[in-house]
Amino acid sequence: MACTTMTAAEPKPSLVGRLFAKHRAALQSFFLRRVRTKADAADLAQEVYLRMLRIRDPGAIRNPVSYLYTVAHNLVKENAVLDRRQASGVDIDEMSAQEQLGTLPTFDCDLDATQRAARLRVVLRQLRPKCRAAVELRFTHDLPYREIALHLGVSPQMAKKYVAQALGHCRRRMARMG
Amino acid sequence: MNSSEEKVRAAIAEQAGEWFVANDEKSLDARDAAALAAWFKASPVHIEEFFGVSAVARDLQQARTDPQYSLEAILARARTEGEGPVQRLWPREAESVRGRPFWSWFPAPALATCALLSMGLLLMWNLKSTERPAAPDGIATLRFETRHGEQLTQRLADNSILHLNTNSAVSIRYSEGERLVTLRSGQASFEVAHEAARAFRVHAGSADITDLGTRFDVRLDGGSTVITVVEGRVTVGPSISRQSLSRRPIELNADQQVRVADGAWPATPVAVDAERATAWLHRQIVFQNEPLEQVAAEYNRYTARPIEIATPALKTLRISGVFATDDTDAFIAFLRSLKGVRVEVTATRIRVSKD
Repeated sequence: MACTTMTAAEPKPSLVGRLFAKHRAALQSFFLRRVRTKADAADLAQEVYLRMLRIRDPGAIRNPVSYLYTVAHNLVKENAVLDRRQASGVDIDEMSAQEQLGTLPTFDCDLDATQRAARLRVVLRQLRPKCRAAVELRFTHDLPYREIALHLGVSPQMAKKYVAQALGHCRRRMARMG
Repeated sequence: MNSSEEKVRAAIAEQAGEWFVANDEKSLDARDAAALAAWFKASPVHIEEFFGVSAVARDLQQARTDPQYSLEAILARARTEGEGPVQRLWPREAESVRGRPFWSWFPAPALATCALLSMGLLLMWNLKSTERPAAPDGIATLRFETRHGEQLTQRLADNSILHLNTNSAVSIRYSEGERLVTLRSGQASFEVAHEAARAFRVHAGSADITDLGTRFDVRLDGGSTVITVVEGRVTVGPSISRQSLSRRPIELNADQQVRVADGAWPATPVAVDAERATAWLHRQIVFQNEPLEQVAAEYNRYTARPIEIATPALKTLRISGVFATDDTDAFIAFLRSLKGVRVEVTATRIRVSKD
């Protein structure tokens, strides 16, 4: 078959890595330059995405959320940018999910914390009352879902659903305000 | 961002919210962690929205000293919720947005029983939905369908989970003695909740599959039926009407696949990578050293813009890769990266020819 020589079919392809292999260097330096000056969520996401694709063994990511935060955290740190392969600095893996949030970079650098808090107050008002209460209790009071459920007279499953929906809704409203 | 894009984003953001919550109180188990990693790998947009919902949680956390978030204030506001019919979570404006029916997946609030569901729940993967309507035991026949490019995940009355791939249809009939699923077209995967007293049977083309507690995939492919076992084991036999002593069922174990062609029996199982055969569950298609013609055919099961191979010699070109079924751009970029291949993209198709 003449055409099989045109492209080498690797016995163990680095998955979509092939696709990005060609432009990886250019893409990365572009992202890193942007990330350094402005931690834009879309740029960070793109960079984290490229990294994830390069991981051959999917089981290597024990905790995908910690992985995401660690890479994001390191990307915006000057030192980590210089040594990109090392996910060091903070041991995010050992923290609880709530503590991990503290390591997240501030994505919208144009807004300060007060402005973001003000916007959040606006978007929270668009939620139905129980849904709003669930997400507020979870994050401003660190209440377990079981207790949130008791306060609201719903099942813990429902409390979780409320929080998930509230997060998704607020995220989109915040994004559209930006 | 136009309205249909925003709708997609909103659905992804809600999924991100579900994942965030799932990981919130305790870490995910290995299986969920793998599913989440796969979800992240499916698209950078998934990661972006996950960052987005994380930022909302973080901002709320940091605003905790604000008196408006005092426990009393929060609970007082919660009490203003009426006891009446379910309120809409989404603002009205979301409803006025009319995208293609493809995205019209917003769940109806009080869908108690349903005899017919035909919808594009494309983005509902991994939603551990406990509120989906359940089939009443005994009588009803449920029917699920997907259109071209759609996928659907459905929890059934017995807590088994049905995943339906693009262009597929099943009907489901549960009775006291048996759970019977008929795959009418396309491809479906099943995660079966084991019940000692009630067998789970899938009838597909010329094959009959009886589950022995497992996850498996069934695909109608032309005249034949392809059965792949991911976990556990099943027995596969010719459909009842064709059974005889000489046509005994065979047993199929994890990572085995069998192709039952019309009338040909017995069929011989072969070893396969079952995760690969079920990559579609993560909206991925996986190729390893496969001819472009086959890759294109597989890809065309999902896309609205089919690939057309204009130069016959290219049909046998062997390629490898993993692609998201809904990321046409990535696939086009991949095709373009192949040496000697020219790709023209028009509004209705992707034409591949020799350079």
